[in-house]
Amino acid sequence: MPSQPKVLIVDDEERFRTTMCKLLTVRGLEASTVGSGKEALEKLRDTPHDIVVLDIRMPEMGGVQALSEIKKIDPQIEVIIMTGYASVDTAKEIIKLGAFDYLLKPYAIEELIERIDAAYDRKTERSRLKAKSSQDS
Amino acid sequence: MEKFRVLIVDDEVDFVETIVKRLIDRGLEVDGVHSGPEALDLMDTKDFDVVILDVKMPGMDGIETLRAMKKKRPLTEVIMLTGHGSVESGIQGLQLGAYNYVMKPVPLDDLLKQMTQAYERKLIEEERSRQAGSQAIPERV
Amino acid sequence: MSYRDFHPYLLSLLILFTAVPLAFAASGFFALGAVMIAAIAFSHTRNLLRATQIAEQRRRAADEQLCRTEKLSTVDEISAGIAHEINNPLGIIAQETQWIQHLLQSEPLKDAKTVGDLRDSLREISIQVDRCKEIVHKLLNLAREMEPVIQGADINDLIKNMVALIEREAATKNIRVTKLLEPDLPIVYSDPPLVRQVVLNLLINATHAVDKDGTITVTTKSNENDSVEIAVTDTGSGISKENLNKIFTPFFSTKPQGKGTGLGLAICRGIIERLGGRISVTSDVGESTTFTIHLPIHREPEGAK
Repeated sequence: MPSQPKVLIVDDEERFRTTMCKLLTVRGLEASTVGSGKEALEKLRDTPHDIVVLDIRMPEMGGVQALSEIKKIDPQIEVIIMTGYASVDTAKEIIKLGAFDYLLKPYAIEELIERIDAAYDRKTERSRLKAKSSQDS
Repeated sequence: MEKFRVLIVDDEVDFVETIVKRLIDRGLEVDGVHSGPEALDLMDTKDFDVVILDVKMPGMDGIETLRAMKKKRPLTEVIMLTGHGSVESGIQGLQLGAYNYVMKPVPLDDLLKQMTQAYERKLIEEERSRQAGSQAIPERV
Repeated sequence: MSYRDFHPYLLSLLILFTAVPLAFAASGFFALGAVMIAAIAFSHTRNLLRATQIAEQRRRAADEQLCRTEKLSTVDEISAGIAHEINNPLGIIAQETQWIQHLLQSEPLKDAKTVGDLRDSLREISIQVDRCKEIVHKLLNLAREMEPVIQGADINDLIKNMVALIEREAATKNIRVTKLLEPDLPIVYSDPPLVRQVVLNLLINATHAVDKDGTITVTTKSNENDSVEIAVTDTGSGISKENLNKIFTPFFSTKPQGKGTGLGLAICRGIIERLGGRISVTSDVGESTTFTIHLPIHREPEGAK
């Protein structure tokens, strides 16, 4: 029985992240928000999450740094990066650093949900394979 | 010296009175007001070449006033006056289009030199926008 | 290996060649002496060579940096920055409209809470639209302001003026500001308000770099090639070599993102280049950093008779 992903939204613009949370919640996803990379790491250490939606430009801890810190806490977490402007080079680098994908603001909520679903699929598939390989060995 | 039109904006009433008188003696056409809103109202009816604008005023402060002035009359040059170095509004003012930034007390001759340079710049910009014609950025009211 | 790299070897070989006949003619002692001289000459010449090579590399690197900065187009960079800024309010607007669409599906629609939420979303959209307007206005201003209006400028006066703005606050942090201004510096035909902005920006960066207990030195100098040089040195912690290459790129900052503390070095560079000049930086990590502006003296003032 497929479960719903637990999503953490990280963005320093309060209105942006709270409305995104509302939009995801009415679609049946379990979503919560924080306003900085630091807060995100605290929350992730406390509670396991499946997906992190992360703004790339934030004061103090930028998105790229946050991404690597998140992966340290839980390498299984899938991260979707949000950006206001992305060059092809930045996008490639983000994926190389372990993000699942990136989205350009402004975007349609359906796009985000589609990416979250795809990321969650990858996560569950990976953990299933991991469980299987540790079973076999 | 060529006669040009100056507006002094400062909440210090004595200062305004003195400066206005001195500049009129030097042959300029000068008006003085004591607040941002007064200045903007006057600029609706009269065209000024150079404005001397105090940074710290109660109510509408210098930066707010500068912003509004630049929207209303982008070609009018503004020289900001400050009583104590205010760094943040220094850069902000220059970025918003202030011609220069001077510290009180400023000797009259220095102020005149700055105002004349500012006036020259206005003449150049006016000529340029006249030549550019339709390319000029329209004034916002 | 270039021809020059052989110098130490050649020199020592030459000396050795004289040592051999010496050894035969005089005694081994002299020959030994000659060999020692050869060895000393070898290492000395090699060190000298290495030193000049390093100096040359440094110069070339600085040149390359200048060349590269000249090639980058500032208008593109600034529009990228504006695009980024505008996409944030647009992102909020997009979300609010999607939320409104969701609210419009509620039953009953005239429910007080729903109406309240709808109003709130629409208000937010209005706020963000204003934000976009500000950004566009800023861009238009920037474009207009970056078109230089050429007037004669007394650079020394300009610097004294800008230093006076930061001196008071710098003193509270025990930062001393020293001016070493070349007397009778020629009048520079440039855009005084633009140069003011750049100089002020460098001064403010310098005070941030020093933080407290340090010195900022501003110097002016005229050059042979009809240009004037303005240098701002701070005794801050310096800039690392990797960052030195990126320091003039847009959005690059070693400070946390927050309220704009100034123009940004990319815009400063854009301004100086528009004025026909160039800006460069050198730094000794842990010691000091110097930003240098070169401005050409001669440019016809607009509408010159």
